[in-house]
Amino acid sequence: MTTTEVGRSLPRLEARQKVTGHGNYTHNIKLPGMVHAKVFRSTVPHGRILSIDTSDAIALPGVTAVITGQDILKIIPEPYYGPAFHDQPILALDKVRYVGEPVAVVLAEDPRVAAEAAELIFADYEELPAVYDETEAMTSKAIVHDELKPAGTFPDLKHLIGRKDTNIALDFHLKRGDADAAFASAEHVYEHSFQTQQTMHTPFEPLISLAEPGDGRVTIYSASQSPSFARSEVARLLGWPENRVQVKVGHLGGGFGAKLYIKLEALVAALALLVRRPVRLSLSMEEQFYTITKHASTFHIKSAVDKDGRITARKCEVIWNGGAYADIGPRVTQKSGFTATGPYDIESADIDSYALYTNRPPAGALRGFGIPQLVWAYESHTDLIARDLGIDPVEFRRRNILRDGRPHVTGTIMKDAAIDAVLETLAKRMDWDAPFDHGSGTLKRGRGIAIGFKACVSPTTSVASVSVSADGSATLYLSTVDMGQGSDTAMSQIVAEVLAIRTEDVRVINPDTDITPYDMATLGSRSTFHMGNAVRKAAEHAREQLLEMAEKVGLPKKNTLNVPEIFRHAYGMQAGTVIGVGTYIPTYASPDKDGLSDNVTPFWMIGGTGVEVEVDTETGQIKLLKMVNAADMGNPLNPRIVETQLSGAAIMQLGFTVSEEMILDGGQVTNASLADYKIPGIRDIPPHIENHIVEAYTHDGPFGAKGVGESATFGVSPAVAEAIHDACGVRLTKLPMTAEVLYKALHGEQE
Amino acid sequence: MTYEILKPETLQDAFGLLDTDDPMVRPFSGGTALMLMMKSGIFSPSRLVVLRDIPGLNGIRLEEDGSLWIGALTTLAELEKSDLVAQHAPVVTHALRHLSNRRVRNVARIGGALAHGDPHMDLPPLLSALNAEVIVEGSNQGRRISVQDLVTGYYETSLESNELIVAVRIPSQQSWQSAYRKFTARSADDWPALGVAVSLNASRNEIQDLRLVVGAATERPTRLEQSEGILRQEGRSGLERATEAAMASVEFMDDAHGSSQWKKALLRVELRRAVQEILDRNT
Ligand SMILES: Cc1cc2nc3c(=O)[nH]c(=O)nc-3n(C[C@H](O)[C@H](O)[C@H](O)COP(=O)(O)OP(=O)(O)OC[C@H]3O[C@@H](n4cnc5c(N)ncnc54)[C@H](O)[C@@H]3O)c2cc1C
Repeated sequence: MTTTEVGRSLPRLEARQKVTGHGNYTHNIKLPGMVHAKVFRSTVPHGRILSIDTSDAIALPGVTAVITGQDILKIIPEPYYGPAFHDQPILALDKVRYVGEPVAVVLAEDPRVAAEAAELIFADYEELPAVYDETEAMTSKAIVHDELKPAGTFPDLKHLIGRKDTNIALDFHLKRGDADAAFASAEHVYEHSFQTQQTMHTPFEPLISLAEPGDGRVTIYSASQSPSFARSEVARLLGWPENRVQVKVGHLGGGFGAKLYIKLEALVAALALLVRRPVRLSLSMEEQFYTITKHASTFHIKSAVDKDGRITARKCEVIWNGGAYADIGPRVTQKSGFTATGPYDIESADIDSYALYTNRPPAGALRGFGIPQLVWAYESHTDLIARDLGIDPVEFRRRNILRDGRPHVTGTIMKDAAIDAVLETLAKRMDWDAPFDHGSGTLKRGRGIAIGFKACVSPTTSVASVSVSADGSATLYLSTVDMGQGSDTAMSQIVAEVLAIRTEDVRVINPDTDITPYDMATLGSRSTFHMGNAVRKAAEHAREQLLEMAEKVGLPKKNTLNVPEIFRHAYGMQAGTVIGVGTYIPTYASPDKDGLSDNVTPFWMIGGTGVEVEVDTETGQIKLLKMVNAADMGNPLNPRIVETQLSGAAIMQLGFTVSEEMILDGGQVTNASLADYKIPGIRDIPPHIENHIVEAYTHDGPFGAKGVGESATFGVSPAVAEAIHDACGVRLTKLPMTAEVLYKALHGEQE
Repeated sequence: MTYEILKPETLQDAFGLLDTDDPMVRPFSGGTALMLMMKSGIFSPSRLVVLRDIPGLNGIRLEEDGSLWIGALTTLAELEKSDLVAQHAPVVTHALRHLSNRRVRNVARIGGALAHGDPHMDLPPLLSALNAEVIVEGSNQGRRISVQDLVTGYYETSLESNELIVAVRIPSQQSWQSAYRKFTARSADDWPALGVAVSLNASRNEIQDLRLVVGAATERPTRLEQSEGILRQEGRSGLERATEAAMASVEFMDDAHGSSQWKKALLRVELRRAVQEILDRNT
């Protein structure tokens, strides 16, 4: 198919607005009579609240109110929220479960007064034993939640209701074939364990929400990735119909999964309704470390390999450190867990994936939704096996790669998944077959390649509508949140393509649940595929109506629409509107009791990275000389935007690979600020980066497109570990791989 | 938590405003360090005395004796871009390019950089190796303090509360050559985990005189006198012994940048490399 608007690398529609300081960010909103909120947070990792003394805080001039969990109960009798479990209280009630948990809120006319008053609150706790490590949490006596509270809406979580005395929020199991038999007869058996650390999303726009009470309604302005979910969840908490809760979202200054589901929305709504004034709560960068994070994890992986270097069976045990509240962790455990055996063609598999509660800040979705943790382990494992067998690591992957038409371990037949093409692109661009200079003296060089894949969370729904004005311009209504990934532009390109107008003539209405239709959320690289399909359908619906109109008024039925002419003929002047509506939900089959399904994902994401590193063996310093990213991008709607998604994802994962780590001491994050939690700066970016779009038409995608936002995160960490190994003979199995860690691995702990 | 921000227009007025025992009264130059401390709650001021409107604290000039005079309010970016500095103390120009990022350098000033007393800084060890001094004025008699003696401990300096650094003087570096090596542990624009500054007065392999200073890994910038002695006597051939002596002679800190054990190893490597870098220039 030849397209004119789809496939065009036009700059982002909102770019000029943003760089000239006119971006429509939630931070800029001022509401008449608004008060500012400051959160008072727990200082103990696990404890029963004995008392909260707010008297000094309320006495401070300028303070409007001090609100605790008990006050919230007045308007929300069951104030527990969450997308998978209803386990997180709006403000702590009987217990606190991590250092930094919101316990009370001060409202004041001035944010600085609110901050000062928050320091005057005193809470007394009976401290309880705490647990931080995911493996210890499996058997620990310290129990974070007395009872499991899965959200009743999910049938697959129902069996967990009321479970007691456990920190395992959810266990997911997949069983295919007879792995035990395969291991018993295997030529080689390999077993390794890998770990990842807790990290943070670090969006540069910290979390912010405002709420304005109305007459039997509330309006929430929020930097949210999921306005539709926020509306229904706040409505559920209040016991109101959804149409009385309005959620409005402007531009986001980054999200990466930090702004999903409910974060501050329920709190500001409750506060505003309690004091009957608009309330603004804006977190500092530092407070984000106490709000949502990325799962730390431990992954035990074991493979059986035959004499030809083919993997015949694999066992995976993955333990996810979900922190004090489940957030979306249980879904990470399942929906990413089932890909734990990797993009390989393996006959038999056992997967056990566990979501654990611990007394850490909660973990949720972060760019990759658990996949980077899995790829880190299975690709490191793959390289170690290849080394032991003396097979080139690319060749070893070739022998085992999962090709289209073959079944994934779930039983789903692979389709439109260019796994082999991604691997071959990397091998070619890394010049893999050419001799490689491993350096000399104390500067050693090495290289590595790793690939990974991801299923898309399913089944989820997107709805869009397109209104076509009589002059031929179009307005697109959708609840997909453009947080910098360029979705507004890509969706407009789809509309323009269908209606045969210019993308620049499409205007996108930012999410407003009173106006824009439902969307599950902007997460997991689902928007291009799901919302893209909905938008395409909406535009096609409008187009059909226009064609019908044309026919009715006797205009020639041509393929090229002359929209203004059609309206003029129909209404005698420039008048009227045509509204097209589109809804998309993919087909899906729920996994059976063995975790198997013949239709487990609407599409696959495939990405990989190759790196060349230089290791200074005297100091442990690791320098990336070259980074090559490649991903199956379907048919890219906007190649330039897609390419920046590749480099952005890879650089983000590079931070999680070599430097970023939330360090805890007694449950307290000791580096909760950008001064001590270091994300990559411009000089940490490899001098040579290549991003390769592997084009592979996705048959069910809009114009062949698929999601692209996470794919380049997959391979980065294991590729760096392999490159270090190749350079200096040391294998690191725990992230982050800092200079000091490598130094100690090279030289031993003591002098 | 309310505090006052005062903007005196003369040094005398500033001294008056600073002359108090209240440790929460501080001079404010670029504010990059103070603001970080205020944000983290380590410092809650009662009064900030902004130095920006006081004349005579700006500029860089070459004095008759070949020394560089640098006003205390000179930003690190001005220093970085100065031709005079590039010509007379190129090691400073080079070090500044690797000091944090442009936004910080545009705001932080040399007086603040020296008076701050945080060990994780680049200029104190470097200027110390260059034998620089600060020109200090106060309610009482003015004085000069060598940069080496300025920082006396962890966030401690020899300045009195009513004293201000008005300028920095870097003596002529003729016949001296210098190198500064910075090691960052967490990201390239991080504060140093270790900084090593070396100044040599050497011809070919003869070392006439030298100054070796380690910073960041120790509580305060520390002169490596024993190592200096070895190199002075043995020249290049004493390098291995000199680095061993350096490791043994200072106490390293464990902190967020790394363990003392690792920093000890880093010092050996970076000190050797810094000295070699200069000697190699001459061969
Ligand atoms: C993110 C970040 C990264 C940084 N990284 C580095 C780095 O890698 N290496 C490095 O060397 N520096 C680094 N810095 C800069 C450094 O740490 C200090 O912040 C800076 O040098 C202080 O300068 P200032 O003018 O902003 O001082 P201010 O914050 O204004 O003051 C600092 C201290 O000095 C006092 N003071 C200021 N001026 C005078 C004066 N004239 N006389 C007497 N006392 C005075 C103040 O009262 C205060 O106690 C970094 C800063 C930031 C914010």
